[in-house]
Amino acid sequence: MSVAAGGELGLARTRVAQWAPALAVVCGLVLVAVTAEIVVDAAVGHSALIPKSPAIAGWLRGIGERLGYRVFLIALLLASAAYAGLLAVAGSISKRWALILIGALHGIVFAGPILISTDVFSYIAYARMGVEHGLNPYLHGPFWIAHDPVYPYVGHSWRHVATAYGPLYTLLSYPLAPLGVRGALWGMKLEALLASAGTLALTWRCARARDRDPVAAILVVGANPLYVIYGLGGAHNDLIMLLAMMAAVSLTFAGRDALASAAVVAGALVKVTVAVLLPFMLLSRRRLAGLLGALAALALGALVSYGVFGAHGVDLIAALNRDAAFVSTDSFATEIAHLFGKPGVFPVDHAILKGALVVVVLYLLWRTWRGYDWVAASGWTLLAISVASTWLLPWYILWPLPLAVVVRDRRLLAATLAVQALFIAHQTSPLFVNVS
Amino acid sequence: MTEAAPTTTPGLGRRLPAWLAPRDRERPGGGRTRLVETTLLVLAALLLAVATVNDVVRQTHTNHRLLADLRTWRAYTGHNYPELSIEQDFRGFTTKEVVCGNTSPGEPATRVQVCLEITGPVIGGRRVVHGGWYLPPNAEDLRASRYACFGSAKRPDRCPR
Repeated sequence: MSVAAGGELGLARTRVAQWAPALAVVCGLVLVAVTAEIVVDAAVGHSALIPKSPAIAGWLRGIGERLGYRVFLIALLLASAAYAGLLAVAGSISKRWALILIGALHGIVFAGPILISTDVFSYIAYARMGVEHGLNPYLHGPFWIAHDPVYPYVGHSWRHVATAYGPLYTLLSYPLAPLGVRGALWGMKLEALLASAGTLALTWRCARARDRDPVAAILVVGANPLYVIYGLGGAHNDLIMLLAMMAAVSLTFAGRDALASAAVVAGALVKVTVAVLLPFMLLSRRRLAGLLGALAALALGALVSYGVFGAHGVDLIAALNRDAAFVSTDSFATEIAHLFGKPGVFPVDHAILKGALVVVVLYLLWRTWRGYDWVAASGWTLLAISVASTWLLPWYILWPLPLAVVVRDRRLLAATLAVQALFIAHQTSPLFVNVS
Repeated sequence: MTEAAPTTTPGLGRRLPAWLAPRDRERPGGGRTRLVETTLLVLAALLLAVATVNDVVRQTHTNHRLLADLRTWRAYTGHNYPELSIEQDFRGFTTKEVVCGNTSPGEPATRVQVCLEITGPVIGGRRVVHGGWYLPPNAEDLRASRYACFGSAKRPDRCPR
């Protein structure tokens, strides 16, 4: 490179650096504004995007208008663009500004109604089945408590379905059951908020341990529109799973292998998906303490689960197999089936996808054995699971995000964000035809 | 906090051949592996991107068609009811759709329903009705329930009465 070209590049960088703080402020304000718009409009209710819910955000009514697809999608696209702008200048954003922005986004969503998904009402229904009605949520669906006040809010597709969540999560939700539907709903929202705060704190810690910019790391996770609107907005228990996952990574970085593998097992007892971290962690660390920690936690978890829920509370694989057979229109498998002229996903496609996933996991295990970063390998596996899933929901593509920001292999973050961008792009068809 | 380095299990590395032995860190110069991986990732991303765009276009066409179907049903029957059901041809993967709705005001499907078989391109915001049938109140659109069939639906395999 010539001296003149080098000088021009330096000048361009200086100009970008000058504009970066202003761009960060604009992007942050856009993110806050569109999130507020979604929440305020959602509080009006009567929208296909907002689940039927007890009026927990009544004080926001009268400000917005009923949330339609068009407004929601434009808001989501604007939030995504602002997020992309924010990432471009993340290096020049101060810790204080990042925390204020993330705090504002979390506060807005926490104050509003449940967004997009009815899952939180299933969580409450399973808790109330166990505590208020003496029914085992691993044996029965919410249909068995059709007279309970939470029942009208449970999604139609899930009314006959027993819980697929881990026994630790079910036990965590039990203390909320006696609070009534509203009380439990606020409890669930608070759980999700605290889990998110914990995940971000641990992401910060892990990024620092890996010499990555911690401010950029928490911005990538905490200001992510899918994370904020879908994950936190729906009070999904995936956030508790992510907390356990990042606790495990943080403990491994601190050399506390037994506790780290126990944290993975605890996470798997919330939502079993996170168990995929364990083989990578054990292969990479090759310490007996890790294996013993996992076995001890598993034995304790199995004992408690069996004691409270019986054999069905321990058999999480059956629940996983059941859910793996579901098909959603948003899954990449369905999109690829349509691309090749098929009307949808067939059993043979499930088998092909499972086979492909096994090949990817075996390859990543081999790479980890030969020195590849186990955290990155775990992130790739979580991303592969979400891409190969025929039942893809937006909060599933959040799983690899906190791992992607603490690893040195930047391809993982690029791939995770690309998959999220494709998911958002797939939602946009109502923008081209006015669907009411 | 800095990351604690892992320790290799003593002896395990020595017992295995070099190509199989575990490593704490990747050997430098793994550029070829990285290149192959990145190429595969880019190809996978391209496939997903093409599939996504194709699906958005397909959904847009479907939504455009379904809106035309609703307009066609309302124009054909003279009823401006909002609650209509549409069944798409997922098996044959054609653009033929069946739209059903009440013949008199009431909750969806609680009155005698008229179903229209609609096909063809959208012209002037509507499509062509090729046939249809009636259904008794609270009945699903099954062959045995259909009666007073007309147009292309007037065939024993489509309609018993």
